[in-house]
Order: sequence, then C-alpha cells, then structure tokens
Amino acid sequence: MMEDEQLRSILKCVRCGTCRSVCPIFEELGWESFSTRGRMMIAKGISEGMDLDESIIDSINTCTTCGICEEMCPAGAIPPDVFENIRHEIVEMGKETESQKDLRENTLSTGNPMNETHPRLEWLMEQRDVPDHAENVYFVGCLGSYRYQETVLRTYDLISDLDVTVLPDEVCCGSPLLRTGSDAGELIAHNVRQMEEVGAHTMIASCAGCYNTLKNDYPDRFRVVHITEFLAENLDKLELERLDITVTYHDPCHLGRANRIFDAPRKLITAVCELREMRTSKENARCCGGGGGVRKGYPELSKALTEKRVAEVPEGVDYIVTCCPLCRTNMAPFSEIPVIDLLDLLTWAQKKE
Amino acid sequence: MLKKQLEAIVGEKNVSTRSSELYCYSFDASQAKGDPDAVIRPHDSGQVAAVVRLAGELGLPVVARGAGSGLCGGAVPVNGGIVLDMSSMDQIIEIDIDDLQVTVEPGVVHEKLNQALSPYGFFFPPDPGSTAMCTIGGLMANNGSGMRSVKYGTTRNYVLDLEVVMADGKIVRTGSRTLKTASGYDLTDLMIGSEGTLGIITQAVLRIHPLPRARSVILASFDNTALAGKTVVKILSAGIIPSACEILDSTAIETVRRYDPTVELPDAGAILLIEVDGMQNAVKEEADAVGKVCSELASGIKVASTADESARLWNARRLVGAAISRIDPKRTRVYVGEDIGVPIKELPGMLEYVRSLSEEFNIPIMTYGHIGDGNLHTGMTIDMLDENGMERVNTVADRIYRRVIDVGGTVSAEHGVGKARESYMELEHPTSMYVMRQIKKALDPHGILNPGKMGL
Ligand SMILES: Cc1cc2nc3c(=O)[nH]c(=O)nc-3n(C[C@H](O)[C@H](O)[C@H](O)COP(=O)(O)OP(=O)(O)OC[C@H]3O[C@@H](n4cnc5c(N)ncnc54)[C@H](O)[C@@H]3O)c2cc1C
Ligand code: SF4
Ligand code: SF4
Repeated sequence: MMEDEQLRSILKCVRCGTCRSVCPIFEELGWESFSTRGRMMIAKGISEGMDLDESIIDSINTCTTCGICEEMCPAGAIPPDVFENIRHEIVEMGKETESQKDLRENTLSTGNPMNETHPRLEWLMEQRDVPDHAENVYFVGCLGSYRYQETVLRTYDLISDLDVTVLPDEVCCGSPLLRTGSDAGELIAHNVRQMEEVGAHTMIASCAGCYNTLKNDYPDRFRVVHITEFLAENLDKLELERLDITVTYHDPCHLGRANRIFDAPRKLITAVCELREMRTSKENARCCGGGGGVRKGYPELSKALTEKRVAEVPEGVDYIVTCCPLCRTNMAPFSEIPVIDLLDLLTWAQKKE
Repeated sequence: MLKKQLEAIVGEKNVSTRSSELYCYSFDASQAKGDPDAVIRPHDSGQVAAVVRLAGELGLPVVARGAGSGLCGGAVPVNGGIVLDMSSMDQIIEIDIDDLQVTVEPGVVHEKLNQALSPYGFFFPPDPGSTAMCTIGGLMANNGSGMRSVKYGTTRNYVLDLEVVMADGKIVRTGSRTLKTASGYDLTDLMIGSEGTLGIITQAVLRIHPLPRARSVILASFDNTALAGKTVVKILSAGIIPSACEILDSTAIETVRRYDPTVELPDAGAILLIEVDGMQNAVKEEADAVGKVCSELASGIKVASTADESARLWNARRLVGAAISRIDPKRTRVYVGEDIGVPIKELPGMLEYVRSLSEEFNIPIMTYGHIGDGNLHTGMTIDMLDENGMERVNTVADRIYRRVIDVGGTVSAEHGVGKARESYMELEHPTSMYVMRQIKKALDPHGILNPGKMGL
C-alpha cells in the first residue's frame, strides 16, 4: 500500500496538460503516455493496482527527471519525485528492467555505475599530498574519478589551499540508483561514515548529479556546496585573468532547476571570458537527455534530446561549458564545439607565475 | 485485427493499442473516463477520412482529440472506439497577411500560432488560459475563448472556412476564403462548438487581427465580489469595452501569489483586472475612464506600470484555475460546475449565490473568470482521499447550474458540454434539443462521431 503522502503527491495533478508544452520526451514521441501528464496518470493507475506491462514501465522510465514540468506546473505537483518514487515501487514489485538491474548491481559491487574495478582515487593520492583530515571534502564523483581525471586534478589544485581533502574510500553518491528506483542506503552510509572519520563539515561537489544527491538525499549533517558556489565565494583568492574566448553555458538540470544554482557558474565564467547564452537557459534550459537512466535505458531517445540541446548553442562560441560530467559525456559526441568543464576553463584562466 | 486495419491506413508507428496509451487517452482534464480500443495519430485528411470510413463499417465510435485539456470530457471515448489524436497534424500551412488570414491544421497549439503571427504584428484573438497546450481544433470544437472575448469575441468569430471529414468519410469545405459570405447555410458555424459530434476538422482558415499598439492594465480592489460585479455592470454600461475584464476573489488572489510570488496584488475581497487596448492616446483615455468608474466602489486602484508586470499578471491569471491546488497540500482542483455564463446584470446576484453555497456546504469556492462577458469560473478543491468529496462538489455544481439556467444563463460559456454537462442540455434548451438531435441524425445517422456527448 502506498503512503498517503505519496498518493497525495500523485493526486496533485489536475491533468491540465500544461506540461505537454515542455516535456522534452513528449516532444520527441508525441504519445500521451510519454508526457508528464501521462506519467502522472499512470502513476495513479499503478497506485490503484494497474497491471505493469512493458508499455507502462517505459512510460515511467523515460523521464529524464529534468524537472522542467515541475517548473511550469500550475498545480504545484513535483513530477520527477513522483516518478522516482514510483520507479522504486516498480522495482520493489520485481519489475526491474535489465538496464536498471545492471546499474544497481554494478554500482553496488564496484562502487560506480560504469563497473570499473580498479581503485577509484589512488591515482590522485599518488600525485598529490592529500591530507587525512580537513574542514572540507571534495567529493570527486564516479565520472571524475574514472573519466575526467585531468579535470579533477585541476579542480583539486584550485582548491587544495582552502583546507580540502577527499574521502579515502569514496563510493558513488547513489544518484544513478536513486533516480532509477533502487535503494542507495548502503552507498550513502559508506560515504557518510568517512565524512565523520575525516572530521569535515562541508562537502564540495563538482558534479551536478552528486551535488543534488548529497544535498537532498543525504542526512542533513553536513553543509553541501557546489564547487561553483565555493569558488564564486572565493573568487578574489583565485587570481584569474581574462581569456580571449567566448563560451556558452549549459545549465545542468540537477544544478539549475533542481537547486537554483544559476548565478555562481555565470559569475565565474564572466570573470574570465565572454558568455553567450544558449537559446534556452536557467529555469527554461533544455535537458541534455542524459539523466534519469534514459541515456542507458533508451539511448536513441537520449540522443535525440542531446541533438536538440546542442542545436541551441549560439553562433560564434569557442566552447560549451558545463558543470556536470554526465552532461559533458552526453553532449560531447554530438557537438562540433568542444564541451568542457567550468573547472577546465578556470584553470586556463589562472595567472601563470 | 482493428490494429492491423488502422496500421494499413496510418502506418504502424501511428497506431497504438499499448495499455499505457489506452489508459492515458481514457482521460482529459475533466472527471470523465472511458477506455478507447485504439489510438491513432493521423497525418492528413485522407487518413482521417479512411479511418472514419473504417469505423463506419465496423460500427465503432471515432473521437477526435486535441491536447486533452478539455474540461468536459469532450475528448474522452466514453463508449470506446478509436481516438484520433489530432495533435500530430500541427502545421501552420500559410500565413496570408494581405487577406488577413492564416491556414492551419487542427493540431496547432494556440500559443504556437500566436508566436508565429506576432512577427507580422498580428494575432489570433481568442485567448484561453490553456494557450500553452490546447489546440486550435479543440478550441474550434468547443467554441473556446478566454480573457479577451469581452472585446474580441469567441473562436467562432474568427473561423472563415473549414475542411471537415464527415461521418460518411467524405471530405468537405464549409466556407470561403472571404471575410464575409451570405451564401448558403453556415456550415462553418455549425461545426464550431459541435465538439467532434458532426465531423472531424482537418484544416481551418482563420481570420487574424492586428496586434494593438498599446495596452494598459488597471487593477481595482473591492471589499467583496458583489461590489466588483456591480462595477463591471457600470463599466460596460458606460460604453467602455475593455479588451479584458477579469475577476479574482480573495482565494484567487492568494492563489496567484502562490503561483508567482513576484506578482504584486493588494489584499482585497476581490480584484478586477481590466485591460484596455488600442492606439496609445485612446488607451490612456479609456484607462482614465475605467479608473473613474471603478473609483465609485473600489477600495483601491493601481495601474500595472510595465509590459513585463502585465505579462506576469496575465500569465498567473491564466493558470489560476489549476494553481488553486497549491493553497492546501491535501486538496486538488476538480473541474465541475466551473464554466457558467450569466447576463451581465445578473452577475452581482450570481456571485452572492455562489458565496452562500460555499457557506452552506462548507466548501471553499474560488471565483474567478471572464466577468466582462458574464463568464464566471467557480473553482472547487477536494481532498481526493475523501470518499464523499466528489459527491458534495457535484451537488454544489448542480445547484449552480440550475440557478444559472433560471436567470437565463448558460451552463457552458466556453469549456463545452461534453459528458460533464450533458444532463443540463434539455433544461437549457427545452424547445430546441430536438433540432440538434435531428441535425445530428442527418449528418451522422449511425452515431459514430463522439457518441455519448452533449445529451444528443
Ligand atoms: C488550466 C486550463 C485553463 C483553461 N482555460 C480556458 C479558457 O480560458 N477558455 C476556454 O475556452 N477553455 C479553457 N480551458 C479548456 C480547454 O483548454 C479548451 O476547451 C480547449 O479548447 C480544448 O482544446 P484541446 O486541444 O485540449 O481539446 P480536447 O480537450 O482534446 O478536445 C476538446 C473537444 O474538441 C474535440 N476536437 C478536438 N480536435 C478536434 C478536431 N480536429 N475536429 C473535431 N473535433 C475536435 C474533441 O472531440 C472534444 O470534444 C482551460 C483548460 C485548462 C486545463
Ligand atoms: S502541469 Fe502539473 S497538474 Fe498539469 S498535467 Fe502536468 S503535472 Fe499535472
Ligand atoms: S522531468 Fe522532464 S522528462 Fe520527466 S516528465 Fe518532467 S519534463 Fe518530462
């Protein structure tokens, strides 16, 4: 039986259809079951015991959790939360898809969704003198640890003077599991335990997905900041100089809409170069198509969204800057213009001694 | 079997009998429900005609659907059958500024049409709150309108010619490409407001209007809704035709604030939002005149100072009906009894009656709407987990409808009759229902087009 509170969150939807005008998946597929409203109806159906066949599961699982529907919903419904919860229910009922199962098993056994088996941050410890204790912990994240080590190193160097360390045995923050209906309690507990051991009070995340999860799904015991907030606060200590380039900025859904961090990244970018906004930005920014398990579960659909987002890049920019390694990984193959992390941009702009 | 036959007409990817789709297309924004046998997404009138012919052979209902934002169950297949999701036919075919017209497919979303017309300095004036999602087809089928109908009229006033697939599968054109015609029965007008029961619209030629040079919004506050109602009577009888004249009661004011905290509204028992438009000087003059009339009964008057402020105000106003769900986390808006129209001078009495019902039944009723043309919306919310909630609002709605008919009003000023209001058709049209039935019988003898609607 579903909790009353969860049921009420589904019943908030008045079926007005406002979200039809914004849901990027619906725009792609056109059928009602792939619109936010359709998913809300199906969530209600599931709460009433509807049979779960593949089409029902596809409806619920094709949401990228981009949240633009929530932004527009007049009734105050929070569809991405509803769908995450309902995914959880579906998984509990034993209707996990192969893609969800893979993601869960990989992440729980290796500590990362990519199923990488070699040690996660040993390379960083080898190259840098990382302290055992500090006030602040830089939460590196899975893609950072395994795919973007250069960016991580730059990030670390940029903030290492500010009393920062990393978790000695960091594991995935749990985001991929939580967004796709699995339980992430084990991972969360593991990371929290180390936070306590390190004695830190602040977690600094550089990935939008990690940030969102640490901020909203972890016990409320630490301050969680995004690296861009942390750096924007310390802008004067960074000794940056201007670069003769123009960039555009892609707002990651889980940083922007979900957590209202729009200004800090822009403050940092405009401190070092020209910024030209994408056709949609901030609250209205289009989703890159990477989130919510859609990239893994429905690659063709995800790709269609990515292409639409890349098509919004304005003329005459040298780079697409973002603050989320998932958005970056997702967009790079479809963009002629290189996609970089904001931290890469900042290190380029650091004054050379 | 049916699936295969439909696939042969519209192609495999445009037919669905998946359970997810059958479920989602069993609703619109009303409380009506009915499961379709199949849903298709046609792409031209030839496909629509072939599907209608097939449905005729099989004796299956055919229900056209736009965005499903309708509030009366119009697009709900209450007797099953094939749902035609017309939102797949969404091309703006031609914008012809010289002839003051635009040719569209029915699935074009209202807002998209106005976005396309705006660079030319033109617009399609009917202005529903559902602009972001509803389709032109749905608007035509319901004769929808909105905030600007007090001056600009309803959708009906803007349709010049239609391409319609009739129940026998023939494709007909109903009008002409001229701005007026006196030739023959007005079949265009017959189709408007027929809610998909007489034919399926596959193309429309619409008259467009130049955008006004200037607009000004006056915000007048009152101690109660009845005083606001009296003021509307005074404004209109003073010979002023505002381009919009909306009422928000105290609950609606609070709802607007919750929806968009940047919109500044005064604390009041009711507010009138009055817009005047036209040439710069005339707008100023009319705004002054409106202010003067309002000042007799208003407790405060304010003029929205910037275009941005007005835009935010109208945007919040548009969605206030759904946004009322924000007032109480346990309650959800249900659309019943929501779309009444009364003669202008009956407004104060009607507002008072709704207030008394709210007290009698102990149900908060938000009143808002296009008061300038006598169109009031009564917004009721219920706790969806309360078993008796629905029954109580239905009783209130029934009382409202009966009163409206008593005073010479209508149970639907713009949202349509569909399933939700069909039981009031005899009451509202005691002498003419038989004519409507005969028209229906003549044009759709086997009753395949959207059956179970409009009390036909
Ligand atoms: C928040 C909100 C605000 C609203 N505000 C307003 C408002 O201010 N004014 C107003 O008038 N309405 C308003 N509505 C109601 C609704 O949006 C309108 O009735 C709209 O015209 C319906 O359009 P749709 O495309 O959603 O049609 P649907 O709901 O899909 O269908 C409506 C009717 O049209 C028929 N139909 C659809 N397409 C065709 C076609 N091609 N040929 C023949 N029949 C067809 C259907 O069979 C059905 O009977 C509002 C609704 C909501 C949820
Ligand atoms: S906008 Fe909100 S209330 Fe309206 S259909 Fe979408 S989720 Fe439901
Ligand atoms: S979160 Fe994004 S993808 Fe998911 S339903 Fe809302 S708009 Fe669609």
